[in-house]
Amino acid sequence: MSELHTPHAGDDRAKDDDVVALLMRQHGDIRNLFDEVEATSGEERRDAFRRLVRLLAVHETAEEEVVHPFARQGFSGGEQVVKDRLAEEKAAKETLAALDEMDTDDPQFMPQLLRLRADVQAHARAEERYEFTHIRRSTDVTDLAAMAKAIKAAEAMAPTRPHPGVESAAKNMALGPVAALMDRTKDTVRKAMGKG
Amino acid sequence: MTFNPLEQRGIPLDRQLRSWRELNVDPIDPDHCDPYTRCRIITMNGIEVEAILFSHQLARNTVDPEVKRQLARVRYIEAQQQKVVNWLLPGVSSVLETTIAYEQVAVDLTAWVARMEPDPYLRQAYEFGVLEDFDHLYRYANLYEMIEHRKAEAIVDDLTEVMPGRPTRFHHRDPVDNVRDPYAKDRTDPLSKLHALTIMSAEQQTMNFYMNTGPTYMEPIARQLYQEIGLIEEEHVTHYESLVDPGETWWEQLVNHEYNECYLYYSFMEQESDPKVKAIWELHLNMELEHLHAACDLMRRHDGRDPASVLAPELPNVLTFEPNKGYLRELLDTQMDLTTLGAGYVREAHERFEKMQEQIHGGEAPPSDRVMAEHDEMFGREYRVQTEGEHPDPAQREK
Repeated sequence: MSELHTPHAGDDRAKDDDVVALLMRQHGDIRNLFDEVEATSGEERRDAFRRLVRLLAVHETAEEEVVHPFARQGFSGGEQVVKDRLAEEKAAKETLAALDEMDTDDPQFMPQLLRLRADVQAHARAEERYEFTHIRRSTDVTDLAAMAKAIKAAEAMAPTRPHPGVESAAKNMALGPVAALMDRTKDTVRKAMGKG
Repeated sequence: MTFNPLEQRGIPLDRQLRSWRELNVDPIDPDHCDPYTRCRIITMNGIEVEAILFSHQLARNTVDPEVKRQLARVRYIEAQQQKVVNWLLPGVSSVLETTIAYEQVAVDLTAWVARMEPDPYLRQAYEFGVLEDFDHLYRYANLYEMIEHRKAEAIVDDLTEVMPGRPTRFHHRDPVDNVRDPYAKDRTDPLSKLHALTIMSAEQQTMNFYMNTGPTYMEPIARQLYQEIGLIEEEHVTHYESLVDPGETWWEQLVNHEYNECYLYYSFMEQESDPKVKAIWELHLNMELEHLHAACDLMRRHDGRDPASVLAPELPNVLTFEPNKGYLRELLDTQMDLTTLGAGYVREAHERFEKMQEQIHGGEAPPSDRVMAEHDEMFGREYRVQTEGEHPDPAQREK
């Protein structure tokens, strides 16, 4: 792999005035983190996995708060599309919670991670094809930008850069468990959407 | 081991039809597969698409209803083969991901063929074309990072370098300068016929893919880049198809098609790393052997000639997907500034070329340049994979 670093969605210099473009980049960021977890070991893997868990938690929570409610009402058939996506997200979160309690050196870790990866990837593409397409079609630039702003606010909740082990453990402690992170993400997003 | 398809029998045609269950193949895993497995799949899809389209054209030019029925029978099986092969690609891949794999095929397949091609004029045609596909890979890779935040190396896996080739804006030539001279069917090495058919089929499928999937993108720069490169694929099909001797009869062409399919399935079976995919190459080889015999019968009947007289005495050396980095760097060093004039190649921008350039660009930067500018705005750098050091052409080094 090359030394080039791809910044996370929101950290590049894109205008970020389109929620769909932003989320598609975030799907790539998640995929990149799966690559990183797979390619590393020991402390490095632990650190990469922590970042993956946080990004996934924040990303899915933000989608549930921002995009799915909009899609549910935004286009015909939206209700069913969102229902399917939520079922996928629920399944992914359960696998994620199980993995979160496991040590990354556990022999069971990698097979479970690969299953999660396949599920997350299928879920992301389904969103892009069955939900995002409709959102772009049925949404004006103001709403696309407003939703992008809310997603960006949520993104600030997830640490995205690798950091040395000790500091990472301390930071993780400070951020608390995944469930708490999801709650804080919800609050942040709601504030950004003006529903605080 | 030598393998002569003319002396082998395969699965009888009336036992080749597959049910839905057999057609429903497991796709490859896009994040963990051997990149060259994906290249072999894309190549064979292009080959099967050409087999189907050629057979349709032949049927439309055939009067005898019994021959039409015979062509339809084989063609239906080929359509099933195409479904199995292309359905090995996973639904979770994006169009852009598949596009980058298409360009990896174009680069490493064409480079390998150029290295093995015995005829210097034909070799030059492949060397000229490969530097353009090489540049397309670089442009699409930059688009990919913009839209999906992914690096092309996650697809091509450092087997193929990603950096500028002949700049895409210079690929737009006056159409008459895309027509090459054909090989002479009775004097050329039989391997040359297979090479021309293979590269023509691959480029044709790339043209089909871009012309149909390009407009599925919503991002303006993506739509425009597919339009631009899609038009260059039209030039490439013109370039490669004109290498084939038009004096070959329909039946002789049919035999060449079937023989080439045997050659490629055999080649890929020999090198395939994925056992499930290897089993498909083996099965399809055994089907193709019978298609070849049927084609040979038609040639004997209609042309009154022995097919062995136009084919190689035995299967040539297997066609191989492997890195071609050193060879490509040599071409980058020596052939960047070539363009075509008539059926030949020149280094100067001639009048017809300049006129075409002026008209198509209309005084503006083409999408292939703008994608780099937009990428730079977003990341403050380019995306490249230069595993073997800096670009051989100093003018193409990153500023």
